[in-house]
Amino acid sequence: MGVEFTGRRGALFWLALKTGFFSILTLGFYRFWMKTRLRRWYWSAMRPGGHPLEYVGDPLEKLLGFFIAVVILTFYIGIVNLLLMFASFSVFNSSALGYVASFAGVIPLWFYARYRARRYVLARTRWRGVRFGLERGAWGYAIRALWYWFLTIVTLGALWPRMTFLLEKYKTDRTFFGSARMLQGGRWQMLYRAAAPFIAALIVLLGTGLWLFWLDPVFATGFENGAAVVEAVDGFFEGRMPVDNWSSPERLLLIPLALSGLLFGAIYYRWVSKRIMAQHKMAPGIQFDSQLSGVRVTFIYVLGNFIAYVMLVLGLVAMIFLGAFMFSDSLLFLTDMPGAQTALSLPRWVSIVLLAVMYLVFFLMWGVLYNTFVTFPLMRHMALTTSLPVTAGLPLISQRDRDAFAEAEGFAEALDLGAAI
Amino acid sequence: MSLGFDGLGAAFFDGDSPEPQEVSLHIADGMLQIGLDHGPTLRWPVEDIRQLPDLAGNAGVVLRLTTDPVARLYLTDHAVLSHLPHLTRRAPPKGRGRLAAWALAAVAAVAVQIGFLIPLLADNLAGFIPPEGERALGEATFGQIREALDDTGLNPLPICEQPDGTAAIDRLVTRLGGARDFDRDVTVFVLDHPMVNAFALPGGFVVLFRGLIDAADGPDEVAAVLAHEIGHVISSDPTRHALRSAGSIGILGLLFGDFAGGAAVLLLTERLISAQYSQAAEKGADDFAHALLAQAGINPGALGDMFASMKAEYGDAEGVVAHFLSHPSLDERIQASRAVVDQDASYQASMTPQDWAALQNICNPAAS
Repeated sequence: MGVEFTGRRGALFWLALKTGFFSILTLGFYRFWMKTRLRRWYWSAMRPGGHPLEYVGDPLEKLLGFFIAVVILTFYIGIVNLLLMFASFSVFNSSALGYVASFAGVIPLWFYARYRARRYVLARTRWRGVRFGLERGAWGYAIRALWYWFLTIVTLGALWPRMTFLLEKYKTDRTFFGSARMLQGGRWQMLYRAAAPFIAALIVLLGTGLWLFWLDPVFATGFENGAAVVEAVDGFFEGRMPVDNWSSPERLLLIPLALSGLLFGAIYYRWVSKRIMAQHKMAPGIQFDSQLSGVRVTFIYVLGNFIAYVMLVLGLVAMIFLGAFMFSDSLLFLTDMPGAQTALSLPRWVSIVLLAVMYLVFFLMWGVLYNTFVTFPLMRHMALTTSLPVTAGLPLISQRDRDAFAEAEGFAEALDLGAAI
Repeated sequence: MSLGFDGLGAAFFDGDSPEPQEVSLHIADGMLQIGLDHGPTLRWPVEDIRQLPDLAGNAGVVLRLTTDPVARLYLTDHAVLSHLPHLTRRAPPKGRGRLAAWALAAVAAVAVQIGFLIPLLADNLAGFIPPEGERALGEATFGQIREALDDTGLNPLPICEQPDGTAAIDRLVTRLGGARDFDRDVTVFVLDHPMVNAFALPGGFVVLFRGLIDAADGPDEVAAVLAHEIGHVISSDPTRHALRSAGSIGILGLLFGDFAGGAAVLLLTERLISAQYSQAAEKGADDFAHALLAQAGINPGALGDMFASMKAEYGDAEGVVAHFLSHPSLDERIQASRAVVDQDASYQASMTPQDWAALQNICNPAAS
């Protein structure tokens, strides 16, 4: 059984634009409706066996969940932040520790919220009228995640694939479609295959570093201090090549090249590990398969993010100019332009409101473009490359009970995990 | 009369098994008749049928019955839709009372936190931070402010420290202190920036901008501003404010989530809160300055004069905008300051003419 993908980019663009616009108008409250509607659209676009997935999440329950999370988290975050700040200045005379501790205090909550959010989304997803579901176990997930992260850091990343695999297995083994429990098969060692490009890029980067700064140094004489480096870079960009004792500085271009390789390796690992694990997912009488292409996904990421960020950067530059124009008298060359006098004579608060609106509009456009050029093609690629080669177990499945779940994904929303669909 | 529709590609899901059942479709007597190929014929009242919203693509529609939460009918023949009158009618929202209760609880929790608990904790804890801790906090903030104010973006804003000028400031602080020795509590810096402003930071840092000294009409006005900022230091307003911000910024970040980066809204709201905080504190610092000046034999009306020249420079902010600025309406403060002037007292200048000249040149290396 294959998975179809219906729905056109244009339709999604308008939906994202419309709902995003309402979100701004309502100072962010419509975002619960926006997220629901976008999910409905994406879910219904993915059609295993020709029949759409259905997202039945309710915006009002999201709003309720958000309120619940706010009530619980305000006390935690407000008081804890204040006490940490106090403690770090009373005892250690520095703010750095306070920031680190307040960040570290949120990490277990963050994993907890991620699992809860997944449980909510699965509980509100149906296909052919049958519910998905995820068993309870958010604290177990948070504790395991912390432990695997600790092991990963201690081993300098060597056990990263183990963490990826075991966390995914924890979630998959608790996932249900109707009465059928899913199972993550395979071993964690199989994910090293996905990490190959990243490891290669890392080796190239280290080798480049060794070559450029140790074996055959570009800066044979070295720099006395930081100021000399700034001086040299300035000189380089102003067209002076003052340093005749540099040996073939064009080799420095290898560094950004190796860094891009590292980025590619990271994206490749993230998605190809998903593919490998998907190929080993199963349920009674059902097999999954995925032909996802890591190169294609990287391409989507790079191109989509480029489009979205170009928009954002253009917007911010325009804003800076407008701001400078409104608030400064030093841009005298602008005062000759028609209409300049009206703009300058605007009351200050009008200018501030104008800038705030522009700021919001550019972030709205960024979100819309990200949906259109990153999330949409990613979802499409994921849907079209996924298939179910064995579906003999489907007739044996029956409906499961509804998971009421009062706080919806409130914690995830409040802790800012909501950005991902 | 019965209308028949194309059942090709249509499928019925009974809400129990994920197996599609083939159907034949008719509408008769206000009922959508769903004839299952291998089973009975279901009858859905047309006015109780709804369409799932926001479906991607035009390839099909999904219908549901208001009285059955799980059964679904997948259709490809759009001709049926025109016979179903309430396809998009919404169900009355459930649990409104519960939602309202939690909304109220959330608003109350935030209000109690920001308006009561955090200020209370901050005010009480501010007294317990040891002086070294306060100094570290002040130094960190001072560094950030110097970097933020610098236009070139490379070096922090320079501190003016011509020896004659700093000596003049030291003598002024000693004179203002009188019997109370401020020298250990207060460190005064002058920053080379044209803004007409001054502020206090945790750890007894008082910062004057060169613009303020330039704009001042005589040394008494600078002395008055200094006395005002010392007032903030003595009541440890800056430390409280720092603790308070640490608590409330986290909460506001929570509330606004990832909506448009949140940063703009956050900044604006934090500004609003700190402005409210500052208005009470500003009044206290003004009163402190009046007493300090009078006690040192300096005309307390100088504070009002300084405000008057600030007003001439920037204009007064009233109404909506005033709420967003940390200082209460200048006119009120000018009047308050002039009201405490004792007509019978003989005030003396706060500085000698030499000291005043040295202070005016504190940022000017060529002068000494």
